[in-house]
Amino acid sequence: MSGGIARGRLAEERKAWRKNHPHGFVAKPETLPDGTVNLMIWHCTIPGKQGTDWEGGYFPLTLHFSEDYPSKPPKCKFPQGFFHPNVYPSGTVCLSILNEDSGWRPAITVKQILVGIQDLLDQPNPADPAQTDGYHLFIQDPTEYKRRVRLQAKQYPALV
Amino acid sequence: MASDGHPPEPGKEEVATTASGPGARDLDDPQFMCCVCLDILYKPVVISCGHMSCFWCVHKAMHIFQESHCAVCRQPFKHFPSICQLMHHLLRKLDPADYKRREEEVLEEEKRIEMYSPQIIEFLNSKNNVGNDADNRNEDSKTRPPQEVSLNGSVVDDHSKKIKLEDVSCPLCKEMLYQPAVLNCGHVYCVSCLPSLTEEALKCDVCGSLHPGCFPNVCLDLDHFLEEYFPAEYESRGQKVQSKKGQCNREGSSSGTSSAKGSSRAQHDDDLLNIHIGVGCDSCGEYPIHGKRYKCKDCTELIGFDLCGACYESSLKLPGRFNQQHTPDHRMELDNSALLGRVHQDLLMMEGGVIAPGAMVQIVFENQGMGDNGEGPGEAAIQEPVDVPGAMLHIAVDGQEMEDNGQEDDQEA
Repeated sequence: MSGGIARGRLAEERKAWRKNHPHGFVAKPETLPDGTVNLMIWHCTIPGKQGTDWEGGYFPLTLHFSEDYPSKPPKCKFPQGFFHPNVYPSGTVCLSILNEDSGWRPAITVKQILVGIQDLLDQPNPADPAQTDGYHLFIQDPTEYKRRVRLQAKQYPALV
Repeated sequence: MASDGHPPEPGKEEVATTASGPGARDLDDPQFMCCVCLDILYKPVVISCGHMSCFWCVHKAMHIFQESHCAVCRQPFKHFPSICQLMHHLLRKLDPADYKRREEEVLEEEKRIEMYSPQIIEFLNSKNNVGNDADNRNEDSKTRPPQEVSLNGSVVDDHSKKIKLEDVSCPLCKEMLYQPAVLNCGHVYCVSCLPSLTEEALKCDVCGSLHPGCFPNVCLDLDHFLEEYFPAEYESRGQKVQSKKGQCNREGSSSGTSSAKGSSRAQHDDDLLNIHIGVGCDSCGEYPIHGKRYKCKDCTELIGFDLCGACYESSLKLPGRFNQQHTPDHRMELDNSALLGRVHQDLLMMEGGVIAPGAMVQIVFENQGMGDNGEGPGEAAIQEPVDVPGAMLHIAVDGQEMEDNGQEDDQEA
């Protein structure tokens, strides 16, 4: 049943990404200590958008693909405790296009996921909160929210 | 059509298909790509929204007990369409080497899972729409030398177009397809020709099967290809069609779509219990089968051979969707082993399992009712969803399998 679709598709995703990807983004499959590549887990970096409070941050994101990909979306995780109204305490991103029952379509590519999450950073969706901390500050204390966002951007500088 | 030969512009093909021409595509970017596997389309299946993917890419993504959604636009659909043979032959001719590579890869995978996609008989002049019942259409085979169907790239004559006009003609107007739409049976018509097939339902003129669900949309990928590949013909076809009919058919198609969406939402629990989990009809492609299911007692293939009630009673029998060697003298019997209602009951009777199975099925039902509002509203959403409902049912079904000789597993894949 699970067939070879997930791995085949991910290999093609990897090819397409190498050929062309948006500036500042990183996406690569995990390399195991013995040098083999695990296509089912990708380590990515999402740059904060210029001109927003997220600018200067390079946020690590891990994509966990299942054997049912691309019928089912990958699970996208920031580090645990990541500050954002739509990120669960575990770091999992809550976004409509990543939800199998609402917005996910197998045609969505890794590139589109990463750009979608970059957009989400500066445009949180208060209708769908996933953590109390980020949600309450976003609603009740915009100044403090801004400060926390900028602080977090500094915690994730560019890796040179 | 065929007798006209191709138009006197042999140079155009190079322009359209190589990187040197204007508007050329990236060489690594195949013209017809499957959005699911991101590889070249292989044995393409066109859904009624007009989007296409490979045979296995569509089938594997179909939901085992609910309606399925298009990988591109999420439009719901309930039938697994047959392979579009016109597209299949077109792709094979456009890029024989790559298509051959895909064929080998897919066959290897099929051997591994012991399930096969339909073998497409290489009918020589596959006059666009040769059906699976191709035996009756032998007359078509005379017009083309047999070497040309060989997958060997060297046979293709580079000095003429790889695709001839008769490869892409409409079985009704006999002219080049203009704004092609693909029926559930995989046969292709100009969208403006389709209304002439409508009585109470769309009935294919080539194979006689009824098109279930909504009026098909134009397959834009194929339409754009034709526009690029045969610009002069496309333009003249366009003018003809416009002057004759205007755009009335377009409107028809969109209204059909919305009504189908409305009715599919109204699926109730009772209805759901009549679903045969992960079992599809090998004739009309309904997946999963809803209502009566007839299973073949004599087909030995792993995937089995099943018909829905309507197809069992109909005289029209198409070949199996998975290359089964089913024949009319095989014995068919009613089968409820994968009926969700029965599975549900069995689970309720199981006592003290490791996981409370009744509860799981209940969760599935609740989710079914929620439909589009699946996203947690308001602050309640802070609790993280552990797993998707589909997966939960899967576990439940897996439990059931041990009692049912692992049947569902075979079917669903």
